[in-house]
Amino acid sequence: MNQPIAELRDVHKTYRQGAVEVHALRGLSLAIEPGEFVAISGPSGSGKSTALNLLGGLDAPTSGRVLVEGQDLGQIGRRRLAALRRDRIGFVFQAYNLVPVLTAAENAEMVLALQGVGAAERRERVARLLAEVGLAGMEDRRPDELSGGQQQRVAIARAIAAEPAVVLADEPTANVDSETAAMLLDLMGRLNAERGVTFVFSTHDPRVMERARRLVRLVDGAVESDVRR
Amino acid sequence: MNTGTLAAMAWRNIWRNRRRTLVTLASIVFGTFLAVFLTGMGDATYGKMIDTAAKMGNGHVTVQHRLQTEAPAPKRFVSGAKGLAAQVVQTPGVRGAAARIMATAMVAAGGESRGAALIGIDVGSESKESLAALGGVAEGALFAADDKHGALLGADLARHLGVELGSKVVFTLTDRNGEIVTALLRVRGLLQTGSPDADSGLVIAPLQTLQKALGYGPEDATLVAVLVEDQRQTASVARALQPLQSGDRVVRTWHETMPELSGFIDMKLSGAAFMQGLVLLLVAAGIFNALLVSVMERMREFGILSAIGWGRGLLFGLVMLESLWIGLCGLLATVLVAAWPYWKLSTEGFTLPVVDSSQQTQVANVMMDPTFYVRIHPENLALIVVAVLTATLLSGLLPAWIAGRVNPTTAIKLV
Repeated sequence: MNQPIAELRDVHKTYRQGAVEVHALRGLSLAIEPGEFVAISGPSGSGKSTALNLLGGLDAPTSGRVLVEGQDLGQIGRRRLAALRRDRIGFVFQAYNLVPVLTAAENAEMVLALQGVGAAERRERVARLLAEVGLAGMEDRRPDELSGGQQQRVAIARAIAAEPAVVLADEPTANVDSETAAMLLDLMGRLNAERGVTFVFSTHDPRVMERARRLVRLVDGAVESDVRR
Repeated sequence: MNTGTLAAMAWRNIWRNRRRTLVTLASIVFGTFLAVFLTGMGDATYGKMIDTAAKMGNGHVTVQHRLQTEAPAPKRFVSGAKGLAAQVVQTPGVRGAAARIMATAMVAAGGESRGAALIGIDVGSESKESLAALGGVAEGALFAADDKHGALLGADLARHLGVELGSKVVFTLTDRNGEIVTALLRVRGLLQTGSPDADSGLVIAPLQTLQKALGYGPEDATLVAVLVEDQRQTASVARALQPLQSGDRVVRTWHETMPELSGFIDMKLSGAAFMQGLVLLLVAAGIFNALLVSVMERMREFGILSAIGWGRGLLFGLVMLESLWIGLCGLLATVLVAAWPYWKLSTEGFTLPVVDSSQQTQVANVMMDPTFYVRIHPENLALIVVAVLTATLLSGLLPAWIAGRVNPTTAIKLV
């Protein structure tokens, strides 16, 4: 068995919502293997997004450990955590969340720019990548000149541009129509199959769950079922 | 990420809400415009007042007896003043220097008498450029260098005494030993300077005649008046002349010899600085508000950037660059807006319509020119530019800090 790319070990997460203490995760343990195409599903409040936040180093657990490529995120400083997110983790958000003042190419190459990759190499890599996600010729368009599906493709290109260990996608198909959702899932499935990119989705979308090769269902902050297909 | 990419992103960000940015720029233009014009008017007006005052007799820098300002008396004079004047002229920044006698006298003619201020000059080394009153000869002419008995009288003084060109007048004064002495002079010209004090009480006479009357040697005088090329060089020239201080002989600047004028200008400058500080504060508040709103509107975006690996420093830097761009654009817009009016006011000035030549205002015994110019000193302009940029950057600090401290989880609403 491979070493997990990302792992939650007996993770508890509690936060306050006004006067109420909410137990988002209750001793969740989950290991993501390299090359997996995992969907985390469950009802609202089951802890899907919290689990994704923790795997992405965006939040810290109340107790338990979060590891990415063997590194315990609780043991590394803020700067190293930012560098880890930049270099090893890709994010795809529900609302695309591209930077509106940047073009498709500039959005996609942002992480490479943060890594200090030279401008010429960035342009070349991103042009190839945008062509791969079906956006050839749209490099210079701003987000408001792209459809929702096209914006999400740019977001996917941004997420995989730096060749991260894992891409965390939070409800990536929630804001697009069925046809676009199918195209996006085809795209991510192809990237997973051809490039070996590891994807972890949090989703309510049955289409995503159908495509996933591993389906983890959370209920009340704990794993109810974990099925590999 | 290199600074160029960050700067380009910041540049685009400031134009996302064009109207807000334009309103912010307008407030910078207003504040900077006001600061430049108020400062420029002060620089031109006070500079001219100082030059005018310096040409009234004492110069920008004065070499004199240490008690001459506080307790002027004929016995307090400078030995070898003419030689000192020749020496002073060699000093860098000095435009001219002249030995002069300053005294008070009773002037009498045909039964009438009046008190007068007496200035003894060496005609060969003086002109209206060194002594402003010489430019006010309305009738007759300046006495010649070899004319030992010529005099210029204020026109009103002459009228009070009932004298005209060619008339004789008798001067009574005390000499260096406190003895009463008299001198006979003949009116060669009448002065109409516009200054009530000068026109009704000034007499200009040959230096050597007054030297003789006061019992001074041929090289002695009350003071050496030093004119500098630019009044802002006063302090440096005074420092350069410090070696001339010896015994009771001191080097004074116009601040010390004309404390009323100095106090007036200091008061005006302090008031203007306070007003400009206030305007700058209001401008800074406007910039702060615009940046804060802009940042608060983009917290989600900052959350995304943080999630994909932007550190706090980069987020902070992005907003600071946005505030820098706003400051620079504001300054550029000010240049565009202010260029024409500045050029117009620096070359033609504006004249107060209620003031005519006979109603000129006198401040601290110095005539105010009714035409005001706007000519800002480069160092003051640089100060304003630095102040505006500093205010802009300071205004950006808190919004930038807030952007840098974004919590990606909360901002993105992943939970």
